[in-house]
Amino acid sequence: MQKYEKLEKIGEGTYGTVFKAKNKETHEIVALKRVRLDDDDEGVPSSALREICLLKELKHKNIVRLYDVLHSEKKLTLVFEHCDQDLKKYFDSLNGEIDLDVVKSFMYQLLRGLAFCHSHNVLHRDLKPQNLLINKNGELKLADFGLARAFGIPVKCYSAEVVTLWYRPPDVLFGAKLYTTSIDMWSAGCIFAELANSGRPLFPGSDVDDQLKRIFKLLGTPNEDTWPGVTQLPDYKPLPVYQPSLGLAQVVPRLPARGRDLLSRLLTCNPALRMPADDAMAHAYFHDLNPSVKNDRC
Amino acid sequence: MAGNFWQSSHHQQWILDKQDLFRDRQHDLAKLTEEEYQKVFNFFASIIQVLGEQLKLRQQVIATATVYFKRFYARNSLKCIDPLLLAPTCVFLASKVEEFGVISNSRLITTCQTVIKNKFSYAYGQQEFPYRTNHILECEFYLLENLDCCLIVYQPYRPLLLFVQDIHTQIQDDQILTYAWRIVNDSLRTDVSLLYPPYQIAISALHIACVMLGKENLKPWFAELNVDMDKIQEIVRTIINLYEMWKSYDEKKEIQGLLGKIPKPSPAPQR
Repeated sequence: MQKYEKLEKIGEGTYGTVFKAKNKETHEIVALKRVRLDDDDEGVPSSALREICLLKELKHKNIVRLYDVLHSEKKLTLVFEHCDQDLKKYFDSLNGEIDLDVVKSFMYQLLRGLAFCHSHNVLHRDLKPQNLLINKNGELKLADFGLARAFGIPVKCYSAEVVTLWYRPPDVLFGAKLYTTSIDMWSAGCIFAELANSGRPLFPGSDVDDQLKRIFKLLGTPNEDTWPGVTQLPDYKPLPVYQPSLGLAQVVPRLPARGRDLLSRLLTCNPALRMPADDAMAHAYFHDLNPSVKNDRC
Repeated sequence: MAGNFWQSSHHQQWILDKQDLFRDRQHDLAKLTEEEYQKVFNFFASIIQVLGEQLKLRQQVIATATVYFKRFYARNSLKCIDPLLLAPTCVFLASKVEEFGVISNSRLITTCQTVIKNKFSYAYGQQEFPYRTNHILECEFYLLENLDCCLIVYQPYRPLLLFVQDIHTQIQDDQILTYAWRIVNDSLRTDVSLLYPPYQIAISALHIACVMLGKENLKPWFAELNVDMDKIQEIVRTIINLYEMWKSYDEKKEIQGLLGKIPKPSPAPQR
């Protein structure tokens, strides 16, 4: 711990306090996440272990880097690369509307980080603007993998209570237990719309019912024809039948037609038809993406 | 299959070189012969297996715990941590990483006490399991550090299932999987998990299973595999050597003597 000088508290993470700090030797700025070990029975919390072991495997430009894990007497400190702000704070700091090139760049980087996770059999499960970090160079990085899991290992079911309500897909809201990478793609769609609207959330539901109604008012209420098996989901309940409003142009007025097309493929209720991350990256919306963003591979 | 195994910490940091492994063991091999060393690890693999079964863990979790155990001592002498403490700690950590759900520490300690008393009294006599929760938690830190936080371990079970699926397109035989699965379990008693990628271990287990079952007709299937057959032969030989060793080994008679010979940590843990 002598290696780092604490500068200021940044926030509270899933399992501990996060500090901004400086490496005394290299003067590099890092983020320190202190893991609380207050539960005598659990030892190192499994959410922290999950984050450590997944980030150890995932090294990519669009995924926050875990530099080091420090052990001391009774605590564990994770040393992360530092980013200036998260997407939520970025929205708050906007004066007026967001630049549409920035929307495209952020969205592409989000998809690229996700494609990398998914190709490594890792689901994030908790995507939201607070978990996307932005640095001064306009780079976006996925962070907070405390709820993520490697899906390569067969497990009977997952806990349903994992995604923040606003970014939660309808299949999970209906209690689907065996979800896949499609869960992250829905969240990416919600974040895409929020980006295009300079930070106004797309579906700010107050509870599960309200969340579902907001989704179906825009996209139409699914049925066995549009989504075979939907009525068999554990928590399925019949909701008012809304017709698709076809109103993406009104919902994201600043997004061009190609962007709206991509959005509609991500915001697809039937998870089997939702577009995967690598396909989304190849979508026509990104054809005129700034090459410096596209080629910036890790 | 193992599409991302190649970029994993398992592949990049934890497929060890045979010579390095042997060199790092010199300290312990001054006290134990190579065969005795293997017998000691065989014994602790049994402890991990029985603990895991008592706690109703999946074989994947048990295998991961066993690999943690082997990785730790690949870089450390047996005197660094009493293996009787490290074994349950590996089970504890693996159960969290594999998302089996946390085993409560008190349940782990109770299980250790029962298992040592009921199943391994031939090794420990009347001696009780000496460790408590605080020892496990402290040891977990130490283990995590020594594993360099590389916690995701690829096991041969998944590639094995895929290979068997492929074989089934040619020959319908359920015995092969049963045999090969057990051979993979047995391979945890050797060093192969430290030296070879899991898919090679899976192929080797299949190879031994076919020989045992006299499946001559699978020769073309093996011939078509694009793998380094020298490596497969090395793994096969290691596992066959284990079976040879078992034939003339009575653990119940010998283990107390062997445990007495292993380098001990100092000072003794606080009770």
